[in-house]
Amino acid sequence: MSDKIKIIYIDDEEMNVMLFQINFSVNYEVYTGYSGFEGLKLLEKYPDIKVIISDMSMPEMNGIEFIREAKEKYPEKKFYILTGYEQTEEIQNAIQSGLVQKYFCKPFDINEIEKEINKV
Amino acid sequence: MKFLRFEYKITILYTLVGGFWILFSDKILYSLIINEAKLSDYQTYKGWFYVIITAIILFFFIRRYLNKQRNLKIELEEHQNRLEEIVKVRTEELELNIKRLKETQAHLVQTEKMASLGILTAAVAHEINNPLNYIMGSYVGLLRHYKENTFSDHPEQVGKLIEAMKIGVDRSSAIVQGLNQFSRKSDSYNEDCNVNEIIENSLNMLHNLIKNQISIEKDYNNSDIIIKGNVGNLHQVFINLLGNAVQAIKSEEGIISVKTEEKESEVLITISDTGVGIPKENLKKLTDPFFTTKAPGKGTGLGLSITYNIIKEHKGKLEFESEVEKGTTVRIVLPK
Repeated sequence: MSDKIKIIYIDDEEMNVMLFQINFSVNYEVYTGYSGFEGLKLLEKYPDIKVIISDMSMPEMNGIEFIREAKEKYPEKKFYILTGYEQTEEIQNAIQSGLVQKYFCKPFDINEIEKEINKV
Repeated sequence: MKFLRFEYKITILYTLVGGFWILFSDKILYSLIINEAKLSDYQTYKGWFYVIITAIILFFFIRRYLNKQRNLKIELEEHQNRLEEIVKVRTEELELNIKRLKETQAHLVQTEKMASLGILTAAVAHEINNPLNYIMGSYVGLLRHYKENTFSDHPEQVGKLIEAMKIGVDRSSAIVQGLNQFSRKSDSYNEDCNVNEIIENSLNMLHNLIKNQISIEKDYNNSDIIIKGNVGNLHQVFINLLGNAVQAIKSEEGIISVKTEEKESEVLITISDTGVGIPKENLKKLTDPFFTTKAPGKGTGLGLSITYNIIKEHKGKLEFESEVEKGTTVRIVLPK
């Protein structure tokens, strides 16, 4: 189990989290949370996590806000956004500044996401 | 003499001339005429002379005056004609402006509709993407399982995947159904409108605006409330009012409560929020066209005006009660 790449997925919708967990657990070790705060806790607990994928629209702390805070502590990790919305200016800026590697659209394309994770 | 009126002038002049004539003409005549026998003849000539002279003077005097009057009258008529012309031109300009204003108003009403349509499409795009994501997730998992028997050790995963697909399909079709209701194009006010269903549909469409920190408390009348009205327009009313309630909640947490009650001859719908509230001086202006407290370009100020008009067309009533920092309550009364 330990040779699998460890990833985190953050989304406030339970169904999305469950489906991500089922599908991505086949090839990776997946940790999930429902908010940015949970994401930060997971990062603290599992230091060998390489990839973090987050939903954009969440209450209290949106995806970019969460990633900005996380990137400060863990600049070497790779962060991605997975959202049902169009690419906003906020996301675009985050990609340009290198905060976010890439943004994925919902409904997700598993091949596209797995290809990105496997680059790491 | 200029300050005297014409009738005074002419009377004074006539009296003066006549008076002097009487005073001096006979004296002059007596001093000039020695032959007394011819005196009475000269008296007669003098009389005629007086009449002719005064007549000539009066003639010129009156003619001068009347000419002045006639010129004035012509000037007045010309002036009047000019005025009429100006009024005509101005009226045409005004009519053109009114036409333009009406066009602008129609355009703005359309803009407002498009704005709510914009909110709607953005909401719908996101809303549909979410259940599509469930279906996609389910498909990806099931395909993998079909090809590689991935979850044979965990059959419950397969059940979850199938369940996710069903939920995704159900949610998408609920959204599409809601949209169909909203975009119904009908001018009839005689359709059967299920009030609770319309409110529920409107809440569904605002789902992505109503973030997780806002809780919705529903207190619906037990049985279905059916009134006669326009289904599409009533959707617009509730999307507007509920949208306002959502926007009013700016703090971390908030509650929107929706209550429907069926009375003997009317239906009462109450929407309350725990938002920022409306200052007293704005309460009366809420339904005025173009009244807005939003930044320029953010709101047309027509949302509530249109809402009010739709309710008026349903012969209903719209009332607001609000306290700053406490929240707003909107009461809608619709006849059955």
